[in-house]
Amino acid sequence: MASTTDTTAAPEIRLNKHRIDYSEWLAAGIFVLPFVAIYAVLFIYPTVQMILLSLQDAPLIGAGKWNGIDNYIRLFKDRLFSVAVWNTVYFVLLSVIPSTILGLLIALGVNRLKGWAQSVILACFFLPNILPVSVVYRVWNWMFDSQFGILQYPIHFFVGANVPVFRTLPLFMPTVAFITIWWGIGFNVLLFIAGLRNISPDIYESASLDGATRWQQFTRITWPLIWPVTVLVLTIQLILQFKIFDQIYLFGNGGRSDATMGLVQLIYRDAFQKNQGGYGATVAFALFAIIVIFSVLQYQLLRARGEK
Amino acid sequence: MIRSILKTALLTTALVGVSVGGALAKDTIVWWDFLGGGDGVRMKALLDQFNKESTDLEIQATTLDWGTPFYTKVQTSAAVGEGPDIMTYHESRIPLGVSTGSLSEITPDEIKAAGLDAKNYAPANWAAAQVDGKQYAIPLDIHSIILYYNKDLLKAAGLLGDDGKPKGLDGAANFDAALKKLTANGVSGLALPNDGGTAWRVFYTLLNQDNGTFFKDNKFLDGDNLQKATDVLTEMQGWVKNGYTPANTEYPASIALFTSGKAAMHINGVWEVPTMVDLQKQGKLFDWGAVQIPVFYDHAATWADSHAFAIPNRQGKELTPDKRKEVLSIIKWFNEHSLAWAGGGHVPAYIPVTSSDDFKNLKPNSDYSGLAATAVFDPVTTLAGVASPVYDAAGNYIVPVIQGEMAPADGAKQMADDLQGQVK
Repeated sequence: MASTTDTTAAPEIRLNKHRIDYSEWLAAGIFVLPFVAIYAVLFIYPTVQMILLSLQDAPLIGAGKWNGIDNYIRLFKDRLFSVAVWNTVYFVLLSVIPSTILGLLIALGVNRLKGWAQSVILACFFLPNILPVSVVYRVWNWMFDSQFGILQYPIHFFVGANVPVFRTLPLFMPTVAFITIWWGIGFNVLLFIAGLRNISPDIYESASLDGATRWQQFTRITWPLIWPVTVLVLTIQLILQFKIFDQIYLFGNGGRSDATMGLVQLIYRDAFQKNQGGYGATVAFALFAIIVIFSVLQYQLLRARGEK
Repeated sequence: MIRSILKTALLTTALVGVSVGGALAKDTIVWWDFLGGGDGVRMKALLDQFNKESTDLEIQATTLDWGTPFYTKVQTSAAVGEGPDIMTYHESRIPLGVSTGSLSEITPDEIKAAGLDAKNYAPANWAAAQVDGKQYAIPLDIHSIILYYNKDLLKAAGLLGDDGKPKGLDGAANFDAALKKLTANGVSGLALPNDGGTAWRVFYTLLNQDNGTFFKDNKFLDGDNLQKATDVLTEMQGWVKNGYTPANTEYPASIALFTSGKAAMHINGVWEVPTMVDLQKQGKLFDWGAVQIPVFYDHAATWADSHAFAIPNRQGKELTPDKRKEVLSIIKWFNEHSLAWAGGGHVPAYIPVTSSDDFKNLKPNSDYSGLAATAVFDPVTTLAGVASPVYDAAGNYIVPVIQGEMAPADGAKQMADDLQGQVK
């Protein structure tokens, strides 16, 4: 019975496929059109305009003069641009991998809790996430304040003097990265917990029946199964932190902002503060290229490793 | 019955309609400002008063974010013919505003017709609203930096005159000696915020007192001005180096140092006067005063800026001559009523107000209002002004020098080079 239906169904499907091709294309096109149109208007068109703007000597508003690749030549000679690239990459290194590892560790811990305890602890880790950046800045700036900050007591105990953390260049990026991790880690924890809950308890049960240790369970079961989520978290974090602006801007404001400048801040300064829209677009395009290259590379690299 | 209710309802609606119509007959003037905090409260009170008093005009005010966001919004909206009829503008920012085409010139005829007169303003203040001899704004105030002092601590150190004002602070050497005297028993001589804005204001004040020129003929710190800048920076660095000023004090912390009696003097903007006034009203502050910055070098001079009123250049949708007339009449009204604005610490720009008895009785404002006569405004270049590259450069070079992280000569040279590199 089963074999007869199989043989009759197969050619029918092939026939159908051939026949309905065009009308399905049309239907698909109609359904996809709104998205494509909005995507083109809100993303592709501005991107193309930005690239064109980067080839002009243009103010922020209004027409500019074409100047070929002058802006790009200026970009490579710009001392601030290399500082900004280095600072951005440094910040990404300091924030992305630690926040992913820490997020996984916290998620593993929280996942072992049961009932209301789990909810409360999870809420505690997620709470900073809902704060706007201005509040985060106010809270930490006062805590680290070199005259009245509460954290100066332990700092004074260990170092022997008050330290103006945000005005000490070597401490600036690590501290801002630390605060960023504290601020945003709740989201990573949430993603990891969702991933961990997707792993069936049956697998752990049979593993422990077979005598697998906790460490073996982690390396052989949890880690491979959580890998796709890890890749996702890393990629989200990478793109997010490459676009770092708020924290660096707020904590560095009024100080040696050239030494702590990130790429988005450089775009802001050139385009909005100095009214050089063309050059601002050039820096923006450079950042765009850097993010595309890094995220494609990272995603491919991590996915390839994960599939083994 | 139902009919009569309906009738009443209709009648009421009609009446409401008429009264709303009456209110709408007042011409609406759209107003943008960047005044937050205490300034915002005071301006709101003035706006309410105006709207109550005026029979034909109704100001619809919106407060936006101070600094670059405000000016970007003005620029983008003016470019497409949108935006307000009148707006507040920092005079220091006018050169950049004119270069981006955001501001509309106010002609001499209009000024005269509105009953405004340059003679009623300090010459430097009036001139700071001009680019190439054209007027782009009418000043409302002069705001500057002043020296706040703790009378008890100064008296104990023998630095308080019989008039309740500090004595013996003029001259850099005397000022330093006074700081040395005041720095004792866990009290510092001077609290100074560590932000680039404050650094710039103090530096520019001292440089001008020393006859230095920051920017002229497209050159930053040209010739012997570089040496003068170095001297000024050396003086400022000495305050921290000698322990008279606590290093790296954040803006709010520097105010707290002064108000808690841990610093005898404090240099900051006039806009912190309300902070002190309010604290004293609550009985939480000692006997204090404020005077203009002492003369460190050759002559009196103080950095200053001004909140002014400007008309945006709404391209393709310019203000009608009638509307401009209305706007100028509003500017005049606010100038005449700027005594209330002085509560924010600012010195009113309108001289008839500052020469009135009411103002003379306003303390401490009248103690430092003399600074208006010798005020120096930011250099006229698109690189200067509020939230400008010059302010950034102050954060990058002057602040590290003051905090002892950079030699004064290096700071001056690097600042000049950096800004020079940005000249187009």
